[in-house]
Amino acid sequence: MSNDSKKWFSLNLNSRKKVSESSCGCGKTSGGCGSHSNQKQPELNEQEFYEAAVDASIGEERSKDGFEQVFDVKMDRRSAFKKLTASLLIGAGAVSTSCSVVAGDETKEKAQIDWEEQFKGNYKLMTNDEKSATVDRLVRSYQLRTGKTISMSSKNAEEDVLFGYAFNISKCQGYMDCVNACVEENNQDRNSQMQYIRIHEMKDGKGLKFDEADDNYYHEVPAEGHFYMGTQCFHCDNPPCIEVCPVQATWREDDGLVVVDYDWCVGCRYCMAACPYDGRRFNWSKPEVPEEQVNHNQHYLGNRMRKKGVVEKCTFCVQRSRAGENPACVEACPTGARIFGNLLDPKSSIRWVLENKKVFRLKEDLGTEPKFWYFMD
Amino acid sequence: MKLNSQQILQRLGCLVLCLILFSSCGKHGEHEYHGVTDKIEAEGKHYNGTSISSDKYLEGMDLMEITENGQTFLIPKRKEHIKSFNCKECHSEPLAKLKKGEGKKAHWDIKLKHASELTMNCITCHDGSNMDQLTSLTDQKIDFNNSYNLCSQCHTNQFKDWTGGAHGKRIESWAPPRASMTCVNCHNPHSPSFETRWPARFNTEKIKERK
Repeated sequence: MSNDSKKWFSLNLNSRKKVSESSCGCGKTSGGCGSHSNQKQPELNEQEFYEAAVDASIGEERSKDGFEQVFDVKMDRRSAFKKLTASLLIGAGAVSTSCSVVAGDETKEKAQIDWEEQFKGNYKLMTNDEKSATVDRLVRSYQLRTGKTISMSSKNAEEDVLFGYAFNISKCQGYMDCVNACVEENNQDRNSQMQYIRIHEMKDGKGLKFDEADDNYYHEVPAEGHFYMGTQCFHCDNPPCIEVCPVQATWREDDGLVVVDYDWCVGCRYCMAACPYDGRRFNWSKPEVPEEQVNHNQHYLGNRMRKKGVVEKCTFCVQRSRAGENPACVEACPTGARIFGNLLDPKSSIRWVLENKKVFRLKEDLGTEPKFWYFMD
Repeated sequence: MKLNSQQILQRLGCLVLCLILFSSCGKHGEHEYHGVTDKIEAEGKHYNGTSISSDKYLEGMDLMEITENGQTFLIPKRKEHIKSFNCKECHSEPLAKLKKGEGKKAHWDIKLKHASELTMNCITCHDGSNMDQLTSLTDQKIDFNNSYNLCSQCHTNQFKDWTGGAHGKRIESWAPPRASMTCVNCHNPHSPSFETRWPARFNTEKIKERK
């Protein structure tokens, strides 16, 4: 699909040639039928062994792009026809408009973008060129639909960066300015009032009891005898949510951000069940943001517009943090309760907090290794 | 069974070989750590800086560099942004005369809500003889730009946390060079505690969902 000579109509079904490695008819590639005995097996060195092992487990996903992952599978004729019909129906609309003589250029372009977006691969497996191609398509598509120009980044993780976060529970006053800033920055659905951050109002002297805490208070804050504790996605270093994803639509990036490819997510919500911190949110309806409130500074893995039936979550504002800016919640907090930075930089503020304050994390015993610490003055 | 020296050598050789094999197996897990703390320690050892910098966000800001507690960072300048500075423009007369109400009224809106009257009054921080500067508890001159030196006289813990980056707020960017707000950017020095107020938002959908 990345090849420029192949456009949307080139369904390269079965174009990948299967080269039989065995020269005899036994079907086996190594010894067993007897006629292989004279073939000397080349010894694998460490690297080759590793490659082979990976190939054996996720080989197909590594070498094939998303299109081939879907189409290049062995199946019987009946199920093949079933799947083809379904996919062709989706494409039929696009094809009929793009081939139509009456449809305008814009309509054709829209149809072509839709077609290419429909069959693009998993973002995790894309090359940098493919990433910028899909970002360009999405920007163009938005322009065609709304007439507005957005900027969308596909900036990869920077080397020597591992993002971490610290939250001062003695400083937070429960003002919820962070929640506001987060919703505005990340284009969350206004109808369902989706929020990534929850601020839990807890009673002094009762410990951390989330079941007794109120995360939707509305009275003057800080309330007497209470303290406030914010939760959001903790960007675990060993995230259980990515293990359960059946389509690998969510993963941990090299800079530690746990992200979702909204176009690859099938909405099964396994990740939500697996997350011990209630860090993920689901779009039960089509997310709506009034055009004048849309944040036009976007990232593919971050605050670009989502669709119905996909999971989303805090990304530490990937569109800001990878550019060097603080996440919106950190920026908005009037009390300085939120500290963000690079865990690998020994001189960073976050490292100072970890080394000099008494820090703890939630449910540390689960081994999820959150990169989100709490501390007190 | 009696083992001759050759057999012993053979077995020892096998053992060494196994050891080498196992240790090389361990290399597969080079990027696996027991916990994120180990990972930070291991990967942070060879940290050489990144291409990400805060420069573009700090451009055009009026900042000055300070070094305190071994930490060097930028803070916003203050003096240039105080509306009625230079103070001497009014404070050419002795304070006693100004207090009598002769001349223009000023600072009528300032009420000191900072510690008790036993501990603090105006001249704990302000220099009665030169209003353009601040004064420490030991009568040392403190510039308005370095007002944090005044606060740190009593708030030693907060000062330590602030220099480290645990108290206060970074300006715009997490990346180096570090720029942090100074005390008076968040706290009104005459009334430093935060006010109670209503939360910025109330989620009405959450109420419906939980009914």
